Amino acid sequence: MSGNEIEISGLGKVFGQGASAFRALSDINLTIGTGEFFTLLGPSGCGKTTLLRTIAGFEAPSSGSLRINGEEVAAKGPNARPVNTVFQNYALFPHMSVAQNIGFGLKMLGKPKSEIDATVAEMLRLVRMEAMKDRKPSEISGGQQQRVALARALAPRPRVLLLDEPLSALDLKLRKEMQSELKRLQSETGITFVFVTHDQEEALTMSDRIAVMSAGRILQLGTPHEIYHAPADRFVADFIGDTNFLTVPVAASDGQAATVTLPGGTQAAARLPEGMIPVTGQEVTAVVRPEQATLMPAGQGEMQATVGTSTFFGTDTHIHLTLSDGQGFILRRQNATDMASPEPGQTVGIGLGAGTLRILKD
Amino acid sequence: MAARDDTERHGWKWLLSAPALLVLLVAASGPLMIVAVYSFLSPGNIGGVTWDFSTEGWFKVFFSRDIFEPENVSWNWANLTVFGRTVWLSVQTTLICAFLGFPTAWFIATRTPEKRALWLFLITIPFWTNLLIRTFAIQELIRGTGMINTVLMALGIIDEPLQLLYSNFAILLGMAYVFLPLMVLPLYAAMDKLDFRLVEAGYDLYASRARVLWHVILPLVKPGFVAGSILVFIPSIGAYVTPRVLGGGRTMMLGNLIALQFGQGRNWPLGAALSMLLLIVVMAALVFYLRAVNSEEGKRRG
Amino acid sequence: MAKSYDVRRLPGFGVIAVATFVLLYLPILVLVVFSFNAGPSQSEWDGFSLQWYYAAFANEQVQDVSIRSLWLAAVAASVATALAVPAALATTRVSRFPGQTMIYALINQPLMVPEIVTGIALLIVVAWVKVSTGYTGMGYLVAAHTAFCIPFAYLPIRARLETLDPTLETAASDLYASPLQAFRYITLPLLVPGIAAGFMLGFVISLDTVVITEFVKSAGQDTLPTYMLGQLRRVITPEMNAIATLFLALSLLFVTAFFLITRKRG
Repeated sequence: MSGNEIEISGLGKVFGQGASAFRALSDINLTIGTGEFFTLLGPSGCGKTTLLRTIAGFEAPSSGSLRINGEEVAAKGPNARPVNTVFQNYALFPHMSVAQNIGFGLKMLGKPKSEIDATVAEMLRLVRMEAMKDRKPSEISGGQQQRVALARALAPRPRVLLLDEPLSALDLKLRKEMQSELKRLQSETGITFVFVTHDQEEALTMSDRIAVMSAGRILQLGTPHEIYHAPADRFVADFIGDTNFLTVPVAASDGQAATVTLPGGTQAAARLPEGMIPVTGQEVTAVVRPEQATLMPAGQGEMQATVGTSTFFGTDTHIHLTLSDGQGFILRRQNATDMASPEPGQTVGIGLGAGTLRILKD
Repeated sequence: MAARDDTERHGWKWLLSAPALLVLLVAASGPLMIVAVYSFLSPGNIGGVTWDFSTEGWFKVFFSRDIFEPENVSWNWANLTVFGRTVWLSVQTTLICAFLGFPTAWFIATRTPEKRALWLFLITIPFWTNLLIRTFAIQELIRGTGMINTVLMALGIIDEPLQLLYSNFAILLGMAYVFLPLMVLPLYAAMDKLDFRLVEAGYDLYASRARVLWHVILPLVKPGFVAGSILVFIPSIGAYVTPRVLGGGRTMMLGNLIALQFGQGRNWPLGAALSMLLLIVVMAALVFYLRAVNSEEGKRRG
Repeated sequence: MAKSYDVRRLPGFGVIAVATFVLLYLPILVLVVFSFNAGPSQSEWDGFSLQWYYAAFANEQVQDVSIRSLWLAAVAASVATALAVPAALATTRVSRFPGQTMIYALINQPLMVPEIVTGIALLIVVAWVKVSTGYTGMGYLVAAHTAFCIPFAYLPIRARLETLDPTLETAASDLYASPLQAFRYITLPLLVPGIAAGFMLGFVISLDTVVITEFVKSAGQDTLPTYMLGQLRRVITPEMNAIATLFLALSLLFVTAFFLITRKRG
């Protein structure tokens, strides 16, 4: 256990040639451990799917090395790699039954029929689709197709399972259900999962580790906790969850922490990213998550603001505020039955707890 | 997938089409080249050619020489008449098909989806049933002792049978009959894609039915008209069976004139030159069509 | 109650459309009806009889040409379909490559060139080959019909191939199928409706082809259409109607099957 399943170094991918060349992946360095649930997260066009397809063998890398279980596979075709893919549209073979779909990989590997039958039965049990085994893909629901696609990819017992936005076609409720289903399947099979999604919430709830990608590069690699609470740069902070960006001058800095002057003049301590030593007076970007700020009576807290609109979200309310220097600020407050929303135009205070303010690298 | 073997793929994949291309080259396109060559040779005695270069074949398409004084050249009215008749009959056929085909396609396109399939099927059946049989059906209908004459005489409208068969009219009727589905199908395809909200918008903006038809519907289904016209015009201009069965010896079309040169006429170079002429007209029609399609697409993009 | 304004209605169009359908079917209907005529007339009904069908079936020449036509159509459509499948694979779902337009033009050439021109072109070539090889068999007709059927077989196969989801093949290769296995187990089975449609179109087209056959055939190689063409200038008895009706029924069978196969796709 806990060896390195996938080792990627210096991987690049260029589509096209000359003037029309498009650099889809640049200098990807990545190690994924055995049994890990690893997520590639980013907006569409960031290169996450290309990276997944390169691991699967559908795209040949233009440069760099790709090892699966210690073996260099960059030059191998998809049918020679111990990885299987769950496709975004499932790509179930429409002319085959559920059972035939699940058994296809084993058949292609030349396994004896008895073994195929046994594995198919096991997989049907694993994804709870025993009753549907003779149906055609067109005769089952989207969620069921999803399970069959999973079973089909798991049946050959790959070392790595690649999932390309597998839940994007499902409605919200089914999606939540499949998220926990996927977690269950992963822990039961112990197979390494590499999961591609553009949904940050999905990534945060399911992953052991996340790589946030943009424009063909990995911007940050870390656990969901690290990515959320210590975003490496503005893009990550913006992409993962909601964030308030404040432009503030530095009052003092000692290399570990800094003090910034907030709008209104109050000074507050802010965490510094590694390797950044700002000089006094330098304008920096500080971030605060909306749920980490608290609403206080006017005159209290670190900042004063005027209330704009409030948006009710059921579990919480988003209150749009304008700070004394004109910068916008969103505050998220958990709802309780006896709570009234502040009136528009009203002046309120904003409380920032210790450690909530964080300075971003430029 | 595409990216993996972008470069290698083209190298070998087209080879899969090689067997089909070979057959087409041997039994369709290659022989056409030989026809082009033959049009510049001299006629043999009992058909065939002798391998002497000559432009006489092409010359005779348009001109004729006096038998006794070969330098006395005049227009070959026999051929030119056939050529003129062929173009004129083809144009008329196209117009008749358009006149009948447009309302028919509209009728099909405005049925409910379930009924539409049935009507479409009804128009498709003649499209795929034997052209010879359909021509035969027309022949039986209009011959002297045929249905039409029998009914007209029984009704007392005429006293003796009309000579309908073996005339330009018969050819026109036959061609319009056999090629009509070729006009309806592309028109229907264009109407099927028509956004009826545009028609509603026309009425909403105070247009009458005639004005909506002229200013909204016709411009939108124009590509179907162009395609249908080409699909009718091309087989009309090259028609052979229909004029042979329904036309007489004096109402030949170009196709029959070509066949004649390879039969009784025994002038293969002239026949070859006439074939090339026919091919040129067809290609011109196709080029016209492609340019119309391209400019239409260009407009849509621009 | 006020009737809602029907934006789809255009005055007079319905009448013309119905008239057109009547015109399309009336001649065929008359032809079929008189094939059951007891008398020899095409216009006077003498009572129902199957005598002309018996006569047609007993006519050895009709038997001979019918068998030849069916045999030729079966062979030409089979070969054309077998050639059209790889041709469709070669020209579908590939990015543009040099010579592509040439290949399209070649494949679709029989659709564009008038049959009479192809006919005399083949006449010239066949005459040549006959003289130099002495071979006068059915090979010429088979080759000519095959070439003529290729675009008709090619089009539905290509249409089917274009609707095929390319990720299915990707999925197959991900599940350890070699390119050949992916074709055998995924692409080919999914292409079957297109292949069947292509074969049927080819078959009907070969059965219909008269001009090319007329110019390519050697003595004693008449097909049903050329036989009929030869008979049309003579005084015709309803025996010809009976033959035509049977022919029509066969075409109808194929067209219906084709229609059902291609419709199922959606």
